[in-house]
Amino acid sequence: MAKPAVIVVGADKGGVGKTTVSRTLLDYFSANNVLTRAFDTESPRGTLKRFHPDITEIVDMTTTSDQMKIFDTLNSVTPSVTVIDVRAGLLSPALASLRDIGFLDAAKSGQITFAVFHILGPSIASLDEIAETSSFMTGARYFLVKNFINDTQFFQWDQATYNSYFHRIKDATDLVIPKLNEMAYEQVEVASVPFLKFVANKGISDEAANYSFVLRGYVRHWLANVWSEFDRIKLTDIVGSGKSSTRGGEK
Amino acid sequence: MRQTPVYIICSPRPLVGKTLLARLLCEFLLLKNGEVSAFDVNLKEPSLLDFLPKITETAEVDDTVGKMALMDRLIIPDDVPKVIDLGFHAFDEFFEMTEEIGFVKEAVRRGVAPIILFVGDTDRVSARSYPALQRQIPPSALVTVDNEYVVRGELPEAFARGKLLRIPALPNFLKTYVDRLTFSFTDYLRQERDSSTELHQWIRRIYFSFREMELSLILQGS
Repeated sequence: MAKPAVIVVGADKGGVGKTTVSRTLLDYFSANNVLTRAFDTESPRGTLKRFHPDITEIVDMTTTSDQMKIFDTLNSVTPSVTVIDVRAGLLSPALASLRDIGFLDAAKSGQITFAVFHILGPSIASLDEIAETSSFMTGARYFLVKNFINDTQFFQWDQATYNSYFHRIKDATDLVIPKLNEMAYEQVEVASVPFLKFVANKGISDEAANYSFVLRGYVRHWLANVWSEFDRIKLTDIVGSGKSSTRGGEK
Repeated sequence: MRQTPVYIICSPRPLVGKTLLARLLCEFLLLKNGEVSAFDVNLKEPSLLDFLPKITETAEVDDTVGKMALMDRLIIPDDVPKVIDLGFHAFDEFFEMTEEIGFVKEAVRRGVAPIILFVGDTDRVSARSYPALQRQIPPSALVTVDNEYVVRGELPEAFARGKLLRIPALPNFLKTYVDRLTFSFTDYLRQERDSSTELHQWIRRIYFSFREMELSLILQGS
């Protein structure tokens, strides 16, 4: 059985695109035939659950019972990859909890693959989270995700500020999520389907849909760019799954 | 399978004869098929809408709504030929969008045949735009239009290598004549008894070129 892999997607700031990135991850794994389960910590109502209801469970990560539901089952369930979409403001407390229960030590000793996708916002406060979060990152793969979906800038115009944050952590890897056409994004929201289904012009139950060809084209192009970033970091290798030669979305 | 042709007449330069070519092509398709849908993305230049208002509608590619309204129509394989008169100001935006949404690939998959009629000129903007089109459009679907009224002399060599559609120059007085809003090429062919006139021969020559272009399209599709 493959070594379990846990991917935490989070930020201490809200509205930076955590759930969007989680959705692209679930689509990516689905297209690469990697069985995945997801936990949505937007309790009691989860946005991730709305798009991926079959594989997503809503949990409250602050409760011990739900922590057990996630972490005590890592070795016993079939999907070896677990994606956790952590609610705004909960990333640092969640990581602290993981440290306390010995999860980070297990990752450090190689029993579990652990990766954190830290979604960054445009403010100094958001960048300050990097230093805070990085203290938990021993033994984990740490990805700093610059999400341009909201036309965000990351102080590229001020190289000193940029370097002071992005070059502070030696082992962190930058990831770029490009901007998606606003109307295309909204249309997927309205459709409440995974990006992959939208591109394939399918509805919630795989029935034929009638989405705009233009908007589907924008989403396909954007998703390909996001996935090429995941390919660049060899995400399927990280989670211990050999990549299939043909992706579902490319068929 | 019979393909639905979508002719996109374009140039990054104004006043090179795009609308004249669009008028000719629309009238030819009307004569041959009985129906054609034309789209005028040309609001800053002399407009196809002014010449053929019954079959032409305006379109925009400035925003996503406009792009959806246009492209979601063009992608339908309904056997009705479409002609797009693409203004120079919309050239970059249109082809960036078609590349991003994968228009050509999806069109072929659905039985729609885009044919790009690029009106060549000798300037630097045209020279820069052509290679960008070549990257996106297969050679069989990219036709350079040599409008001899605009290009006095030889077309740049880079344009002349692929498929070519030549529009012979008309004398100025005839050019003024055909530029009247009420002028119809097909009506002229039907009404003018003397088939030896310069205009008669000019129109027939261009219609013949269109037939050849259509034939090559049918051969590709078969």
